[in-house]
Amino acid sequence: MYKMSEYAFIAAILATGLALILYIAYALSGLRAARMQTAGGNVRTGVMGFSGGPRTAALGRYATILGWLGFAFLSAWLVFRTIATGHGPFANMYEFSVSFAWGVLGAYYWFERRYHQRMLGLFALPVALALMLYATTIPSTVEPLVPALQNNLLLSVHVAVAIVAYGSFTIAFAAALLFVIQPEGGRWGLPKPEILDDISYKAVVVGFPFLTAVIVLGAIWADVAWGRYWSWDPKETASLVTWLIYGAYLHARVVRNWRGRKAAYLLMLGFAATLFTYFGNLFFGGLHSYSGLG
Amino acid sequence: MTQQAQTGRLPADGPAPTDDVIRREAGFGIDDLLERLWDLLTSMKFGVIIILALAALGLVGTMVIQAPPGISADPAAKADWLNEVRPRYGGWTGIMDQLQVFTIFESIWFRALAALLTASLVACSAHRLPGLWKSATKPHVAIGEAFFTHAPQHEFIAVRGTSDEIRERVSRVLNKHRYRVVSEDDGVLHLYADKFRWGPFGTVIGHLSLVVILGGAIVGSMFGFRDSNFVVAEGSVAPVTSGEGISVGLVQFQDAYYTETGAPADYASEIVIYKDGTEVASQTIRVNEPLRYGGLSFYQSFYGPAAAMRVTDAAGNEVMADGVPLAWSDGDTGRRVGSFVIPGADLTVWVIGTAGTGDPIIAPGQMRVELYQGSQGTSVDAATIDQRTSAELAGYTFSFDREMQYTGLSVARDPGTPLIWLGSFLMIAGFVLVLMFPHRRVWGRLVVRSDGRGMLSLAGAGRRDVNSNTEFTDLVTDVRAAFTTPTDA
Ligand code: HEM
Repeated sequence: MYKMSEYAFIAAILATGLALILYIAYALSGLRAARMQTAGGNVRTGVMGFSGGPRTAALGRYATILGWLGFAFLSAWLVFRTIATGHGPFANMYEFSVSFAWGVLGAYYWFERRYHQRMLGLFALPVALALMLYATTIPSTVEPLVPALQNNLLLSVHVAVAIVAYGSFTIAFAAALLFVIQPEGGRWGLPKPEILDDISYKAVVVGFPFLTAVIVLGAIWADVAWGRYWSWDPKETASLVTWLIYGAYLHARVVRNWRGRKAAYLLMLGFAATLFTYFGNLFFGGLHSYSGLG
Repeated sequence: MTQQAQTGRLPADGPAPTDDVIRREAGFGIDDLLERLWDLLTSMKFGVIIILALAALGLVGTMVIQAPPGISADPAAKADWLNEVRPRYGGWTGIMDQLQVFTIFESIWFRALAALLTASLVACSAHRLPGLWKSATKPHVAIGEAFFTHAPQHEFIAVRGTSDEIRERVSRVLNKHRYRVVSEDDGVLHLYADKFRWGPFGTVIGHLSLVVILGGAIVGSMFGFRDSNFVVAEGSVAPVTSGEGISVGLVQFQDAYYTETGAPADYASEIVIYKDGTEVASQTIRVNEPLRYGGLSFYQSFYGPAAAMRVTDAAGNEVMADGVPLAWSDGDTGRRVGSFVIPGADLTVWVIGTAGTGDPIIAPGQMRVELYQGSQGTSVDAATIDQRTSAELAGYTFSFDREMQYTGLSVARDPGTPLIWLGSFLMIAGFVLVLMFPHRRVWGRLVVRSDGRGMLSLAGAGRRDVNSNTEFTDLVTDVRAAFTTPTDA
């Protein structure tokens, strides 16, 4: 099973990498089409205002299929790895990084199906790929659980919920990035700002309650294991900071003139906080130092 | 939730201005001040600023090493700790300490912000509740004509039939979309339809749950009890200082390790709880498996070596026979240290274990005993004893019987936890409710001429997001379809 999981992982990296190349090609051909259009060329315009000639559409389709394949391989990895270790993917940084990548791809394809904005993949897939590549640099050996981690159900749920939250926030970030790189008004054939704003909001609408649940489940675990639901451990605190930033975002969106660009910057800040929380294990120690990296 | 921003656009939904205006014109003074405070506390911008300020403090808390809890109460320990971190923060150490950066979550800044947040949360909820209640229970059905041309989403549909027929048909479509429909007729037929009208109450639940959680934290810190350094050696019984006559006996402690990696696999303490001397509970506790008795919880926390010591006086009477946990560590030598007091004598005994094979004074298998005059702390005598031998010191015979282990527990009673869990549950429930079930509202206005031709105006005041737009568009499409297909088909 361990071997199988390794094969699935490598296959996932290859599929996602190829998918990313196709997404880039897709974006570039779209950009060209857009330029031709503004130059008076004769190009058909897609439903969402994104110009798509026939070649672009085919590229996009293949990109999506490969990306799905990557997601399928990662799902297989998840199953094999869980069988091999006998617990959810929470025991070390390797397991959690790959799961995070799985969450990013899953969230991305959920949004791609709903909004048909492949340009998001341009930013979402690199995040997933980077997480997987990062995972190849750290030990993937299966090691038995230290006492504090021997709470299979609670921790599996804690991590599963975290993956949904982090995956959603990655999509919110990708959309925010697409939002801010566009010149005011102009759009180089990129998705419309309103749609991007909406995607970000939807992603946070999913991610925020999930992050709330992550923190609460973490507190329950801490209460069971250490007798203290909150101890201002750096990882806890970082997750609280992340939660506050997304909370601020939800409010900022309601304040009329904070919509759009300002909200997008908050999302980027939120994603930075998410990564900080996630990689925090590596440098701030504390009770959560179970990264398996010493 | 863009309700607040949007309700302003509904002419009939705005707050009645009369009282406000009258008061504002009446003058300044305390009323005016209170009103400004209220405006500030209910302002969304202010809310966002508080939240971001809290996030900034949190960031400081993760980046700057935090002093161990309780250390600020002990000036000497505090000074030691500051010296420890001084190499890292250099000249800033003193300033940072002054600014309470090392205890940021107990700092005046943090408390002030938490208080402001609480006030703001309560104010916001109080501010919004009446409006939410009203829009859920007594929605404005009859709305002026102008609204239908200015609403963010609006649509005009040519219809045919009697007023009742048309109402029936539109209602059926709306019901199919799980909207409830209310109508009023004052010559013109007014329609109002909505769904998820309780969704916005999730905002109030979610916000007030934060107050519940803060309340839980305060209750816990005011009425709770916590001893994170409770130690008891195997075979011994030690009292818990919570004032309930509880003591804990350790039958045995076991630590297990994985053979391949040497990583810890299990820490288990078999403990017995006594209340006023009688056994009331027993359990083998592990990390993740605490024992709970009468509001107190006992958690496996740490462990270490202990020495079984015996002391007899000159007359041969045993004055002490117990396991002594070597629960401190001497920072300079790495030796483990424990202590006890000889009953009825002004003598404190330090029991010191070996630092390992290279220790020049205390070899493995030996225990050093040092006697101090309890009141002055002056050294009286000292000796290093082999296992199962004894030494004469200050008229007493000290025997070191064997090495064993002690367990370190965290003993806690936190009456705030039920509030914490209640608040957490309400928070998730509230936010799921408000975020996943947004209130959707549609207004309709029907004017039918005598010849049976009519104009149905529809307007939506959902959120200005793509979903509510498509939802409104779908609704309108279905309504149109209902009027282009024959009635009795
Ligand atoms: C840590 C603190 C807070 C958290 C986590 C929080 C969370 C939330 C969430 C999740 C929503 C729903 C957002 C949406 O529907 O899009 C919301 C809405 C809202 N919050 Fe907060 N909030 C906090 C503090 C505050 C404060 C201090 C205020 C008062 C200034 C406030 C006022 C509001 C209002 C009025 C709404 C409804 C927005 C609307 O009109 O649609 N919140 N909050």
